Amino acid sequence: MQSSADLEPTVRIRELKKDRVNFVLENVDLAFANSLRRVMMADLPTVAIDTVEVVSNTTVLPDEFIAHRLGMIPLVSTNCDEAIRNNRDCTCESACEFCAIPLSLSVACSDNRTLNITSDHLQYDPAVFDQSERGAEGDETAKRIENFGHPVGKNDPSVPPVLICKIRKGQELKVKCLAKRGLAKEHAKWSPCSAVAFEYDPHNKLRHTTYWYETDSRAEWPLSDNAREEEPPRDDEPFDFNAKPQRFYFEVETDGSLGPQEVVMKGLQELQRKLANLVLNAKAEQEPELANGVLSGGGDPGTNASGPGAWSVTAGGWGASSAADGSPAAAGWGGSPAVTAAAGGWGTSASPAGSGGWGTGASPNAGGWGTSASPAARGWGSPSQQASGWNV
Amino acid sequence: MNAPNRSELFVLEDGEKAVEIIEDTKIPNAATIKVVKEDHTLANMLRAQLLASPSVLFAGYKVPHPLQPYSILKIQTDGTVTPADVLTQSCHRLIGTLSTLEAKFKREFSFKDVEGAAVSEDPYGVPSTGGPTWPGGRDYLDF
Repeated sequence: MQSSADLEPTVRIRELKKDRVNFVLENVDLAFANSLRRVMMADLPTVAIDTVEVVSNTTVLPDEFIAHRLGMIPLVSTNCDEAIRNNRDCTCESACEFCAIPLSLSVACSDNRTLNITSDHLQYDPAVFDQSERGAEGDETAKRIENFGHPVGKNDPSVPPVLICKIRKGQELKVKCLAKRGLAKEHAKWSPCSAVAFEYDPHNKLRHTTYWYETDSRAEWPLSDNAREEEPPRDDEPFDFNAKPQRFYFEVETDGSLGPQEVVMKGLQELQRKLANLVLNAKAEQEPELANGVLSGGGDPGTNASGPGAWSVTAGGWGASSAADGSPAAAGWGGSPAVTAAAGGWGTSASPAGSGGWGTGASPNAGGWGTSASPAARGWGSPSQQASGWNV
Repeated sequence: MNAPNRSELFVLEDGEKAVEIIEDTKIPNAATIKVVKEDHTLANMLRAQLLASPSVLFAGYKVPHPLQPYSILKIQTDGTVTPADVLTQSCHRLIGTLSTLEAKFKREFSFKDVEGAAVSEDPYGVPSTGGPTWPGGRDYLDF
């Protein structure tokens, strides 16, 4: 671990395709690589059909069956962080253009043949909304790409559509759907990845696994392609019980809702956001007087998953104020004046805590906060009004 | 049946503390840190990073129950720094690693871009394929 912490992490992309990326990650810890894998699979928001109102269904499939299948259809979710807000955070009554994508499907068969209902029949249809109510104004709709929320591969003849149901003459299916933003922690339909392959130590030199075998494990267990990247172990080589895995082979395959590049980059950003949140909240926990100051100003309800007092990945804050090195207090934290006022208190009272405050911040290999464009935030606050002090 | 709503696994409730630091009364320089609404993704990575620090005597984590959305980190240090400070340092270090990695990924992706090996990323963020690649998946900087 010591050795891997000293070296810079490296990455080499071996293959990049429309829906997948294959890369090798080196000089990181196993736990780190696994966290990257986990975050790409479960912590990135996408949109998927979440509520289905069945107007008429005379097909052979029951309503629930069809609703479930509709939910599984991958929808284009590029820039989901900014392009749609969480339905639960929206101020509208049930759903509006800022927190949901209206889709409808209406197919009837009048010919004497079997008709396939596919994802291509899903139409963008604002009539699904109850027009009278809308949430607080936002810029979400402006940040959407043209086909945001549409089924992946619609109008692309090279992509076969997803089959929903087959109907015969006289049958019809009419449904109104609302696609909403969500995380795969809630339901796997929101995962941008269809598969993430993860391998290390293809020769099993570390003996993290044991192979079952009849007579000879080497003859019976084929090596993976990744084994070509590493020296095979010599027979006389003693077992190195101190060895740590160094190289991790990833293949991230997406379902098309996000591109592979977006999945990897957003995954890294999401990890940073989680860590930054932890640091902020730990500080607030230690210094209650600070937390109170923050509370009066900060409290952005948070557009992201972590809710109130969280960092939102979306806006200015950290990334923008790259001058933060050295003078964290002056750089200001967010848009509202109240927040800036609180930040002044932050800068001064952060330093006695011992870790040297923000700008001077610990990490040797990082440019600190300012350089990373990512865990940017507006507004921050502590969720705890009466944080109990813990100052040593 | 009686399982909590899935969204409670990652949405912080109103007035809920995201982090609680409980100092250990019986062990010197030790603390238990309860991280609410986070799981193995964050806690395991932190545990590994904490163990890499020379001043940490013990670091471990657990997620007591999969239906209870919090994880617990236990840290004991040798007394030169407080557990809370070493946690902050580890977070900074991890963020540093992540941002260098992010820059490297960006570079790698952009090489794939200019080579035309795979990506000509259209506005939908969906790269298109086609074109030659260097043998062995290397790029020209490796030569």
